[in-house]
Amino acid sequence: MDLRQIWTLYRHEIRSALRERSILLTSIILPVVMYPTLLWVGFTGFYFLEGQAEAMSTRIGVTSVPEVHEPLVDSLAANPRIEILEWTDDERAAAAEIVRGRMEALLEPMPPRDAGEALDGNRTIRILYTEVREGSRSARARIEDVTNAHGADWITEIRRDLGVSDTVWADYAVVMSDQASAEDVTRFLLAMIVPLLTLIMVALAAFYPAIDATAGERERGTWETLMTVAAPRSTVATAKYLYVATFGAVGGLLNLAALALSIRWILSPMTNGVGEELSQGGVPLSAIPVILAGTALLGLFVAAGMLVFAVFARDFKEGQSMITPFYIVILMPALFLQSPNLEFTTGLAAVPIVNVALLLRGAILGDIPFLSGLVTLISMGMAVIAAVALAQFVMRREEVLLGSGQGGLWNFLTRTLRQGRNGS
Amino acid sequence: MTDPFVETRNLTKTFYEESRGEVRAVDSVDLTCRSGEILGLLGANGAGKTTTLRMLSTVLRPTSGEAWVMGHEVRKDPERVRENLGFYSASTALYPKITARETLRFFAQVNRFPRERIEARIEELIDRFGIGDFANSRVEKLSSGMKQKVSIARTVAHDPPVLIFDEPTVALDVLNAIELRQIIGRLRDEGKAILFSTHIMSEAEQLCDRIAIIHQGRILAVGTLDELRKSTGHHYLEEIFVHFARVRDPSEAEVESLRRDRP
Ligand SMILES: Nc1ncnc2c1ncn2[C@@H]1O[C@H](COP(=O)(O)OP(=O)(O)OP(=O)(O)O)[C@@H](O)[C@H]1O
Ligand SMILES: [Mg+2]
Repeated sequence: MDLRQIWTLYRHEIRSALRERSILLTSIILPVVMYPTLLWVGFTGFYFLEGQAEAMSTRIGVTSVPEVHEPLVDSLAANPRIEILEWTDDERAAAAEIVRGRMEALLEPMPPRDAGEALDGNRTIRILYTEVREGSRSARARIEDVTNAHGADWITEIRRDLGVSDTVWADYAVVMSDQASAEDVTRFLLAMIVPLLTLIMVALAAFYPAIDATAGERERGTWETLMTVAAPRSTVATAKYLYVATFGAVGGLLNLAALALSIRWILSPMTNGVGEELSQGGVPLSAIPVILAGTALLGLFVAAGMLVFAVFARDFKEGQSMITPFYIVILMPALFLQSPNLEFTTGLAAVPIVNVALLLRGAILGDIPFLSGLVTLISMGMAVIAAVALAQFVMRREEVLLGSGQGGLWNFLTRTLRQGRNGS
Repeated sequence: MTDPFVETRNLTKTFYEESRGEVRAVDSVDLTCRSGEILGLLGANGAGKTTTLRMLSTVLRPTSGEAWVMGHEVRKDPERVRENLGFYSASTALYPKITARETLRFFAQVNRFPRERIEARIEELIDRFGIGDFANSRVEKLSSGMKQKVSIARTVAHDPPVLIFDEPTVALDVLNAIELRQIIGRLRDEGKAILFSTHIMSEAEQLCDRIAIIHQGRILAVGTLDELRKSTGHHYLEEIFVHFARVRDPSEAEVESLRRDRP
């Protein structure tokens, strides 16, 4: 095979493709702007919701509160977003207001149980609210926090008055310990998103080039011109294959690069601003070569698969309908991956596509079993070789070259099989 | 005499089609074409012109028989065959997204024209075919007359000794067709061996040095116009063509009359 000829043909395909608007859009622009767009939508949505919440003050009704507990109402009222209503009507009227959303909750101290027996002001406080509305739920949580804090202060004061020291009183307490750092959270999110999006992007980026390289030549009438140039068929096919694989892999990589550049801004609303401290979304540096190799393998496989289907098409439309089933089938494994418990076993590592998706996930989580990684490489390598061999076989056939055979790949395979059986 | 640039021997192609069964598109064709000669392939629709020329240009594989281009056999050495020929037909379009100049460079490179002479060759072609004004425009922006010029230039970009034109004038207006025939004539004068197919009698008469009449896949006669006139006693090519086609494919009435003539 003449490398210079492959290079000539390859450059020729790439040059034309880069001047084709639909290819440029799906293979280059879309992968690049995908994340910034998500980011923009996310931010806009976030600020929109926040703005909405800010514009609306929470109205909380309060019935007569004993004097000792007045600080409770004060601390609620200290929040500028809370509006306190003196509630004088009965409970039923309050409930109606809450249902309609005109009031979020009602704070109501119950009457003392048995006068004289309890401490002064020791009351049960009842909160009326509804689970149905978000506003009401958060008002309830807010009141609960404030009342608990206030109750604890109140008890501490009484305890001190009674002369019980802090040491004697060694309380029962709940201490929070945040086990997942922002890095862990982002890494987990990335592990769920990246394999899926990479797969989608590689497939999408290879889609139009695969049709362009085959059906596109027929539709433009350049197929026969190309068949009469002094390059072997295998050279022409190789150049086309490399062209489609390049676009697939580049689409996937551009998508990842765009993700790497925008990750902290994307995640900052989610991680409470901690995202800004994350350099690469918590992804270990060792993951990068694995991700690059995985994306390249995907490009090589998807390109060969798509060419095998598209080569039977006579025009762009036929090409689209012939590739689409393959496109859907290779995206299926991504559905599996939505289960974070799925383990990267050696068995799964033998399944093409699924294994690369799991490999990418493992790389991000910093956990790739050696054997699974190896099996993935071997299995994908074999799948690529098989797909390329099939593509070469199909493209050597005269009726396929001329576009005079009927139907797509299945039709061709069954016909070839039948002829083979009759022949022997 | 020198060896012919193109030669076929018993060249045959059968297609298999579900609806029609086996179709013998080209049947035992023997042809030769020498340097400085235009061989016309004259035949009606479906006669087998395109199939013959596609076998010569190695787009199709012969079912049996042999064909040589500059001494290279089409099945044994298809790349060398293609290196030595330029193929032009109404269905060999140009790439729309690249410029005229890029088109010429691509075809010169891919057909292995000596690298160091490619740029000079491109300028020569641009000059010769009057492409200068639009050499840097994308092909999609050109008029069909301009495209035709670029198309011929790309056919001869690697300066092949053999040229094949399959009904090249079929989609052209009168003036463009005349211009194309003049160009083909000049290429012959430079010593190219040219195969030219057509179903237009006047075109074959004007342009071709020798004419091969092809009908239902078979060559019925080959010769100069004068030779064909002598052997048939007809003057016009149309009559000559009908004469041969009848002998090969007699109508019902003629069969009947032949039967009656018999004693
Ligand atoms: N790929 C193919 N598959 C099946 N049959 C074919 C194929 N190509 C050509 N044929 C058949 O072979 C015969 C010769 O066709 P061909 O195209 O060579 O004729 P032609 O002389 O070029 O005609 P036209 O003037 O219409 O171009 C026709 O009967 C045609 O239907
Ligand atoms: Mg034809």
